[in-house]
Order: sequence, then C-alpha cells, then structure tokens
Amino acid sequence: MRGILKKISQINFGLMSPEDIRKMSVAQIVTPDTYDEDGYPIENELMDPRLGVIGSSLRCRSCGAKGGECPGHFGSINLARPVIHVGFADTIHKILSSICRKCSRILLTETEIQDYRQRILEAMEREESLTPIIKEIYAEARRDRCPHCEEEQEEIKLDKPVSIVEGDYKLTPSEVRERLERITDNDSLLLGVNPEVARPEWMVLTVLPVPPVTVRPSITLETGERSEDDLTHKLVDILRINQRLKENMEAGAPQLIVEDLWELLQYHVTTYFDNEASGVPPARHRSGRPLKTLAQRLKGKEGRFRSNLSGKRVNFSARTVVSPDPNVSVNEVGVPELIAKEVTVPVYVTEWNIDRMKEHIENGPDVHPGANYVIRPDGRKIRAYNETKDVVLENLKPGYIVERHLKDGDIVLFNRQPSLHRMSMMAHEVRVLPYKTFRLNLCVCPPYNADFDGDEMNMHVFQTEESRAEAKTLMRVQDHILSPRFRDLSSGVYTTISQEHTSSQGKRLFSVRSRPPDPQEGRAPPPDREGREWTVKEIFSMVLPDDLNMVYLAEICRKCDECLEMDWENDAYVVIENGQLITGVIDEKAYGAFAGKILDQIVKEYGSDAAKEFLDSATKLAIAGIMHAGFTTSTNDEEIPEEAKERIEAHLRNAEARVDQLIEAYENGELEPLPGRSLEETLEMKIMQVLGEAKDKSGEIAESYFDMDENHAVIMALTGARGAMLNLTQITACVGQQSVHGGRITRGYDNRTLPHFKKGELGAKSRGFVHSSYKEDSILLEFMGGREGLVDTAIRTAQSGYMQRRLVNALQDLTVDENGRVVDNRGVIIQTRFGEDGVDPAKSDYGKIVDLDKLVQEIRLKSGK
Amino acid sequence: MKKSAWGLVDAFFDKYDLVDHHIHSYNDFVSNRIQEIIDTSEPIELEQGQYTVETGKVTIEKPFIKEADGSKSKIYPTEARLRNLTYSAHMSLEMRLLKEGGSETEFEKVHIGELPVMLKSEICHLHGLGRDELIEKGEDPADLGGYFIVNASERSIVTMEEIAPNKIILERIGEEDEKRARAIVTSIRSGFRARISLEYRKPRKTGVFLRISFPYVPGELPLVILLRALGLATDQEIITSISDDFNYQMIAADDIQVSLDKLKLDSDKMEEEMDEEERREYLIRSAIKYIGNRVAKGMTEDYRIKRAEDVIDRYLLPHIGTEPDKRLEKAVYLAEMTEMLLQVISGERKPHDKDHYTNKRLRVSGDLMEDLFRVAFTSLTRDMSYRLERSLARGKEPSVKQAVRSDVLSENLKHAIATGNWVGGRAGVSQLLDRTSYMGTLSHMRRVVSPLSRSQPHFEARDLHPTQFGKICPNETPESPNCGLVKNLALMAKISEGSDPDEIEEVIKKMGVIN
Repeated sequence: MRGILKKISQINFGLMSPEDIRKMSVAQIVTPDTYDEDGYPIENELMDPRLGVIGSSLRCRSCGAKGGECPGHFGSINLARPVIHVGFADTIHKILSSICRKCSRILLTETEIQDYRQRILEAMEREESLTPIIKEIYAEARRDRCPHCEEEQEEIKLDKPVSIVEGDYKLTPSEVRERLERITDNDSLLLGVNPEVARPEWMVLTVLPVPPVTVRPSITLETGERSEDDLTHKLVDILRINQRLKENMEAGAPQLIVEDLWELLQYHVTTYFDNEASGVPPARHRSGRPLKTLAQRLKGKEGRFRSNLSGKRVNFSARTVVSPDPNVSVNEVGVPELIAKEVTVPVYVTEWNIDRMKEHIENGPDVHPGANYVIRPDGRKIRAYNETKDVVLENLKPGYIVERHLKDGDIVLFNRQPSLHRMSMMAHEVRVLPYKTFRLNLCVCPPYNADFDGDEMNMHVFQTEESRAEAKTLMRVQDHILSPRFRDLSSGVYTTISQEHTSSQGKRLFSVRSRPPDPQEGRAPPPDREGREWTVKEIFSMVLPDDLNMVYLAEICRKCDECLEMDWENDAYVVIENGQLITGVIDEKAYGAFAGKILDQIVKEYGSDAAKEFLDSATKLAIAGIMHAGFTTSTNDEEIPEEAKERIEAHLRNAEARVDQLIEAYENGELEPLPGRSLEETLEMKIMQVLGEAKDKSGEIAESYFDMDENHAVIMALTGARGAMLNLTQITACVGQQSVHGGRITRGYDNRTLPHFKKGELGAKSRGFVHSSYKEDSILLEFMGGREGLVDTAIRTAQSGYMQRRLVNALQDLTVDENGRVVDNRGVIIQTRFGEDGVDPAKSDYGKIVDLDKLVQEIRLKSGK
Repeated sequence: MKKSAWGLVDAFFDKYDLVDHHIHSYNDFVSNRIQEIIDTSEPIELEQGQYTVETGKVTIEKPFIKEADGSKSKIYPTEARLRNLTYSAHMSLEMRLLKEGGSETEFEKVHIGELPVMLKSEICHLHGLGRDELIEKGEDPADLGGYFIVNASERSIVTMEEIAPNKIILERIGEEDEKRARAIVTSIRSGFRARISLEYRKPRKTGVFLRISFPYVPGELPLVILLRALGLATDQEIITSISDDFNYQMIAADDIQVSLDKLKLDSDKMEEEMDEEERREYLIRSAIKYIGNRVAKGMTEDYRIKRAEDVIDRYLLPHIGTEPDKRLEKAVYLAEMTEMLLQVISGERKPHDKDHYTNKRLRVSGDLMEDLFRVAFTSLTRDMSYRLERSLARGKEPSVKQAVRSDVLSENLKHAIATGNWVGGRAGVSQLLDRTSYMGTLSHMRRVVSPLSRSQPHFEARDLHPTQFGKICPNETPESPNCGLVKNLALMAKISEGSDPDEIEEVIKKMGVIN
C-alpha cells in the first residue's frame, strides 16, 4: 500500500450508481449475524474479513495488509425491494412534481426546453452558478397537463420523511424509480441532474453500500463481551428485514405483509442514514439511547466536521493557569520548567550544533535543558533514556533530529480562548521559570483579555523552521502593539508616573538608586547630577528615545476654552523635546490601552522593538516609583464636607421641584409637545433632561470639593487609570436616574412602581430617581437599574459568541491579494482596494493616510520654534 | 433603619427560621396531603369489579433502620450521612381486599415504602431537640434542616416559581394595533394541569375570531361552539352571558354566524317539528357532535359523543369540577373570560403583567413532594393490580400483603430526590446542598427557580420587578446565564401553606359577602 502516490487532478461530485456500488464492493453481505460460535467472522456477513480488519493480528483478505494499515473495503447489500434515500426525498419530490406522471417528460414545451438548455449550457461554459436557472425551471414546470402526451397531472405531496403521495395514492419506491428511470438525459439536465455524473433514479436505492469494519469497529469490553458499533447494529436490522422480505416475496406472501416489511425496510434504511429525520421515531439502542447513525456522525458541533476537521487536538501544546510577572518582558512568556521538559523543539543536527545537541542529550529527559527523543534519519524515534544515551551520543551525527527541551529564547505561540481577534494568539519568547504557572507581562493582558482570577492559557511550540519564521515575522507581540482595534497594549501602569508628577510639579525630588529604570546598560542615571538629585521628569526622559519630539494634551486636560498651554497649573500640556520631557504629566494619553500618544509615536518612528523596550522600561519605572511612594485609596477619598452635602441637597430639591412643575404643566395641559413627539414623550424627555442636569450639577459640586493633589481616587479618575469621575460623584453626591429598557421605571404595581407612592404619580422619586448617594441609603428601584446591567452582560456574552461564529464563517475566505484587492476564495473581487482606501489602520495615523497636524508640529519643533 | 425596628427583626427571627417554608410545607405534606392523595387515587379494581382494594389510614413512623441481623434501631441523620444510608421513614397503609358479594374483611397494615424525611420536620428525630441534645446526636446546633439525606448526600428541594394556576392571565400578542390577544388559564386539579388558551385573532380568510384550545383537543375550537356544547343553547344565551356591552356582543354574534353551518343544523326540522325545549337539546347536541368529530375522528357516532362529553368534563377547566353538572358553570367562566379578553382588544382593560408577583406562585418542597408522591403511588397501585391479576390468573388466593412491592414506591421517591429528575421531566428540582459555607447553605435553602429556559433572553422576566419588594431579595442573583431567573427569598419573607378554599368561602360568607 505504501508508496503509491497519485495527484488529484479533479473531484467530481455525483451520485453512485448501483453498478458503481457493486464494482467497489468486495463482498456481498447476506446474513445478519456477525460472528460464529468461536468468535470468528463468517463470510458474507457484516464482519466479513474481506471488508478489512481491525486489530493487528489478522490480515485483510482483500489487500493482504495488516490491521491498522488496511484502509478497509466496502461491501454491499442487495435490497430485496428499492427504497428511497432520505437525503434525496426532497429532490425526488421536486423532480416528480415537474415531470409527467405518464411519459416522465419534463412539464415544459419544446421551445422552453430548447431555451433553458441553451442557457444552462452557456452558464456551464462560463462556470457560473446554475441554481437560479434550475430554480426557474422548477417554478415553470408546473402544469396541469403534460405538453407532450396531454396527460392530466395530479398533485404530488411529500409526506415527511420519505413517502411520496400522488393525490390520495402513496407511490411505492419502485414506482418512483420507474418514473425517474424514464426521464431522458436531456430532461435530466434541465432538472439539475447532470447525466454525466448522476441519474435521477440513483436516488432510489437498490444496492446499499456497506462501510468497511474500520468505519464501525467493534470494541471488546473487559468482560470479554463484544460490543458492536451503532452502524453495525443498524446494518443488522436492515439485513434481517431484507432477508425476511426476500423470503416472503419468494414464498408468495400476501401483498399486505410484503408491503409492511417493505415499509419496515424503508424505515431501517432511513434511520441508517439519518436517525433524526423529522417524522420518524429515532431507532434506539436496547438501553433506550438513540443510535448514532451516519448523519449524526457528521452533523453539528460534536460532528466530524466541526470537531475533527475544522478543529483538532494537537501535540506539543501546554495549558496552565496564568499569573502576572512584571519582570518578564511584554514579548516573553514564563514557562514552568515542568512544561519545558515535556514539550520539545525538533532540531536538525548539523556540524555546527552537534556539540550543543550532545550536551542536551547528556542531560537526558529529566534535567532541564535536555532532550527527550532522537530521531534517526531513517525515521526511527529513540528515547534518550539515561541508560541508552551513551549509545545515542555515539551514533549522533548530522542529519539526526534531536527533540530538545524548550529553553529561553524559543518562540512559542501563546493563546487565550475565546480567540476573538488575531491578538488572541501571539508569538512570545520563552523564559523558563520555576513553579507551575505561565507568567506574562501585565501589558499583554488587554489583547488577550486575561486576568489572574484563575484564567488558563495555552502554549504551542512550533515544530518546523517555516512556522517559526512565519510567527517571527507576523505574530510577535511587539508587532501587535498597534492593532486595528487596540491602539496599543498596556494599561494601568501610568498612574504612578503621573501621580509623582502632579504631586511633585517637577520640583519634588525622587531618587531611584536601588533599581535602574532602564535595563539597558550605560543608560542608568548616575546617582548625582550637578549637585542635586534627579527630577521625576528627568528620570522618565531616560526611557524616551533621544530624539523624540512631540506636543499633546494629557488626559487630565480640562478642555478649557482658552488653552493656557505650559502655564496651566495642572501640567496637562505635554512637551517632549529631544527625548526630554519638558512639561506635562504622563497619563493614559501617554500609553493607555487605546489612546497612548507616546507609545504610538515610538512604534511608528522607531519601530516595534523600540516600543517594546519603552513599554518594558516605563513599566519597570512605574513599579519602582510606586514601590517608593505607595498608592492607596479608601472611602475617605469620597468624603465631602457637610457644606457641600447641603448644597447638593438644595440643588436636588430644586430639581425635583422643577419636575413637579413640569408634571403640573402637563396635567393642566399647558405643556407644549416637542415636534414629532406625543405629550407624554415630551414630558418624559423634559423630566429626564432636568434630572440629568441635576445629577451632573450635584456631581460638579462634589467634584469642586475634591483635592486633586492628595486624593488618590480623584487622581485615578482624572488620569484615566481606573474609575471615572461619575463613579466618584455617584458615591459622594447622587446616584441619579435609574433606567430600565431605556426609560424611567414604570413597571410595578397598578399604576405605580411601589405601594408607598400615589397611583399615577409621575414625580422623580416614584419613577426611579435616586436622590441619595451610594454611601447613604439605597432604595429598591436602584437595584432595578443594576439588574438590567447584569442581565445585559450575561446575555451578551452568550449571543456574541454565536455572532462571532457566523461572522467568521462568512468572512474567513477573504484575502487581500498582491494588488491590494480583497478577494474571496473563488477569486471574486469583494473590494477593489482594501477598506476602499487601502489604509492599514494599524500602520497609519488613526486611520488617515497622513496626520497633517502631527507633521506641522514636528516641523515646528525641529525648526526650533 | 431606625434603631427600634431591630427589635422587631429580632422578634421575627426568634419565632421563625430561615427554612420554615420548607419544614412547614413538608409537615403539611406528611400529615395531610399523603392521606389525601391516597384517598383520592383511583381504587384498584380487578376482574371487572369482582375484587376491589380498599385503602384506609396511612401511618408514618419516625426513621429507623433494619440491620442485616434483623435488629431495628433508630437512625439519626449523622449516621445516615456516615453510613451511606437514606434518612427515611416507614410508611404503612391499611388495606383490604373486597370480593364482590364476599364478607367484610379486616384492614391489614401493609408496609408500602420508605419516605425520605426532611431534617427538622415533625417526623424527624431532631424535631424539637435542644442545643445540647443536637450536639449529642452529632448535629451542628446551628444547622437549620429542611433538606433530605439520600444515599448519604444532602439534597435540598429548590422552590419553583410558576405562573399562578386557576387564574386568568390576559396577554397581548404583538403590538396593540395588531388586535391580537390571548387569555390563558392553567387549571389544576389534583396534580393534573390543563392549559386552556382562548385567543382572539383575525381569521386568515373566513372563520371565527375567538378560538379556544385545551388538552386532548387537536387544534383550536370556535369558542361559541364550545359554549353551546356546555349548555348555552341559544344565540341569545351565548351573547348575553359574554357581555352586556353591545360591541362585544356583536363580535360574539359574528362568530356565531360564521360557525353556524359547522353545526350542520337542519333549520326546517327545527322550526317545524320541535318545541323550545327540544330545540335547545338539539342545538347542544349538534355542538357536542362537532367537538366529537374533532376529538375522535373516524369513530362511531356514539363513541364520538361520549368522548366529546368526556373531554369537556375532564380536561376543560378541571378546577371547577369534572362532573357533567358543572358544565354551565364552566360556560359562565369562559364567557366572563371572553369579555375580559375583548376588553383587552378594545384597549379598555390592560393586559396582565406576567411578571407581577401577584401572578406568581411558589411551589415549595411539600408541593413538589406531592407531585412526586402522587405519581409514585399510582405506579405502586398499578404494580399491585398487575400482581393481583397475575395471582388470580394462576388461581391463587389473592393477598394484598403479597401484592405490595414496597420497593416500587421507595425507589421512585428516592431516585427522584437523588437525581433531581422530577415527574413531568423537570430536571434539577433537587440539588446537592451547598455546603461551601453556612451562608451558602442558607441561601441555597431559600433559592427560587423560574422554569423559563436559560438560553432565551426573556429580558422582562429577568428584570427586578417592584412587586418583588419584600418577597424576593433584590440583590442576590447569579451573574451566569441564569441571571434573574434564579432568585432568593428576601430574608424576612415567609411562604404560607395555602388553605382549604371551602373554609375560606365560609369565612367570607360569614363576613357578609353575598355570591
């Protein structure tokens, strides 16, 4: 068997003719039994040794190969009477409805036939889809009278799954077959059946192919009992009924009995193909479990396609819990030694690496940078046991392959499910570390959407140089710092730097002696500089490229009407000149997960490796800073003085009074409806507006009492590190209007939300305006808004997964070709230029081809103005 | 909360436990409902009524076990937990076999099965024990009970939320101007649930607007024909009992017009040969015949009529009654339901809010055990009659004691509680008691599960409804796909056990309510 190679030049899809089935059949299956008393297969039964063998002891009677090597061979069953194939019941019905019941000609006039034939041939010539033409033919070929023999036609119905009823008479499969046989080849083409590969009558089975035993292996239980595959069970049923039907027919049994058996044979053949066909009770196992027949093997998530062909289990992969480690670089992953010793990299032995490989083998499979297997050029795999390694070492020469342990610097693929976008799988460099978890840098959490509450991730080791090279050029972490969706990776670390800046205003001194902020040698700052210590801005400048120039507004910028630029006290105007941070704080805008300006600039100007360096050193700097200064928050940060509370209270009372006024106006009919709205809608909108303003205002009042320099919660909110101002004002001042399904809360008791309101009351409180803050009391209506959010997230996760699958299925074959066109797998052009503008969002400035503002600024800085 | 209110809270918890709802409900089940189920179950008849088995009182003993050596001893929960046993009680029932024309025999006490016992219920050994006694018996004195021990695993029965039975629920289908609405009653009588649904819908071509569907009738019936079959013979009777409002009367009149020829009335014969009484009889008969054609198509006419009458007596609104003399009462009920439905269509009445807690009922462990026991007991009686028949067929003297296989009932109960697969195909009714923490246990005992499917959105049902105030905890619900469908009772919520409707009726009448 081995060594016969053939190139597939084309694949034809058609139906199998009875002759085809007989031709490929190596055995006629007649008896329903499986084994004789001694447990050996009998001839002409389902386990016929000519169908192939399982288990290595036997040899196949057809090809002589041993079990495991013999692919198996088909057999066949001659059916005593023809039966309809469930899969084609619909097609048969369609064809029968479009042909004459007497002469089996298609129900079209000669001219129509000519016309359609022409069109079909033309379409075939042009390799276009025939579906629309065939559809049209079927719609057209519905006549009450045959144009060829003038026969009156009767309506044909399909009684699911396989009964075909004409008027009141149920056609037998034989009659169906006869009609289909009479169709001429010419007509058959018009009906969408290409006579070169299929004949319509082949949809009614007269011979049933029997799959080889390798397809339906029986298993031997510990008790020595044999347990057959579901398919074998089903085939036994078919054979038994077939046998009885044959005997009855030969004995000349009454028509009724023959028909009953025929019906039964049809049922068994139907369930053999599809045990979930609508309209038939599923065939069951003795235990009551429905049998898993052919269609069930292929269908659905656990079916052959989705489970074994689109997705496979692989070797050389590892999975464990992830945990954070800031000392691992963004493009690295910490791999436990235990895993590193298990998953291996195959290395070709050459003259140049043979010594190193020998060292690996010397270490053996149990000592870390060792090797597990050696593959000889003849393909034999030898395990590098401690006992055998001497022999192996002796024989080792170029051409051997050594499967050595994973070690530092290897490239691996790292992945976290759900793999929603391409950044869910990235290439990392290995760092072998102790303990049992994968360690990853905090900055790569956002693209993987990973946290450390027990998340697990997968690692795959490349097994070929080609895959490794491909991953290195396309999949490395640093190449994905800017991506179509995420502007960049990191989040959460900027707090410290910005915080130090705001509090120091560039004056307070901050010394980093114990840990140099930049791992690169030679750039570590000397402990003293011109007789004074370093400022934070100077230290941060150390991680910036030397010739970086940029100007932007930081996240903390309040967007004043007139920009004070450098003079503003909060230091929101960031100026970097020649790699020196002159003014401004470093916050989310610098290198946040979506907005990072500096990081963005570095990626584009200095390349992704420089960006990686920047990200790593800035993170380390931030950690050093935070270890130095400490940073914490408590509920005291959300405390405001009594005076502020009174002001807020007064303000809210005022707003509620205004709502009451609106309601009064509405009740008196004085309210003017807004254009396009009913009176009720107008009132709702106005109330919502008043209450929204009230909440914002009360928030503003609370905000004005917050101390921006010392209040850590506020710093986090303003720099964009964590939390938003809204959270803080809700905690201190006023929670605000709760909304359910986009409006105020209306559901509840009869005409009121809760029984302690008046019926029909429309006021702020009764419809879910929460006057108090989170620190004060909470009321039931507050939970309603909260519940809605909870339900939304729960439902969304479930729905988005399915949507993702559909989208992926629809778009997976689209590619951008060398001309920049988007093309599907048939070569049909979807877009003439990618995205209609040919811009790669990851490599452009915010999706634009040129960022003029940035250019102007750069030129201005460079010219020294 | 005001300081003084805490006193009330303390007083409340002095009197009530957090698992009272389970224990009270189970006690009620044990002391009243088991007997009731046995009394109302269909008696066993053999050989066309030659032999009947009569049942008497049921007695339930406190849990004990029979060891392999035949000795009997009390069993405490701890022992059951440690020895992989089931904490269950012996049930015995008085039974006797009556032979037609034979003499009265004495009641025999027969062991019919084992009933899993809820901890701290009245038939539990722990009932009423003090702190020290509990510790002596190996129990955690703070443990509240309310769960079962089956094969040493602790299983609690979760409370089920369902839409209120025996109550008309009006709902609109689609938007208001689509003019479609439905009135649904889930009518329950001794465990049998019949869903009656009356729908108002514009017919596709010709046909009636008001259609009704109920169990054992394929498809839908025109309401007016059903009303006629129930005894509202003349057009006038039907129309006036539906409504006094002319507009609604017209809708009914239209339906009568449209559906008239379905009755295949012989109008000449009616006019000339019949007096008024006969005509009434004739009209009702033809309506019943029409229904008969639907429920037993292709059968003999006598059987069709019998079957039709059987169906409307037994499967239409069974909570009103299953006797033929309740038909008129059912007709009036349906007519009233129709008026309500028509009011919804015209916009005069608001449809019911399905999530309003007034339209919900909670089925606690006792209620669920009742369902289970009823089915288990029926399978016991079925097994009994099979065995009795077999011994009769062999010519042996039938004996009740030998015919009872106590395993049938025990295994049925045990299996359901052990796996959570309840009767009616519901899964997850009993769950492994959460012992993650004491609070986890308490929360599990107060859990309320809605039978709505997890996979569909059901946004409305998941929302917190203001009417849940005081009954359902607004905060505790999982964040999983079950969000809002799995709820927990509010800390101070109690569940009442329900009372005899006749008793209540009497009280209300005494208070001066007429009709």
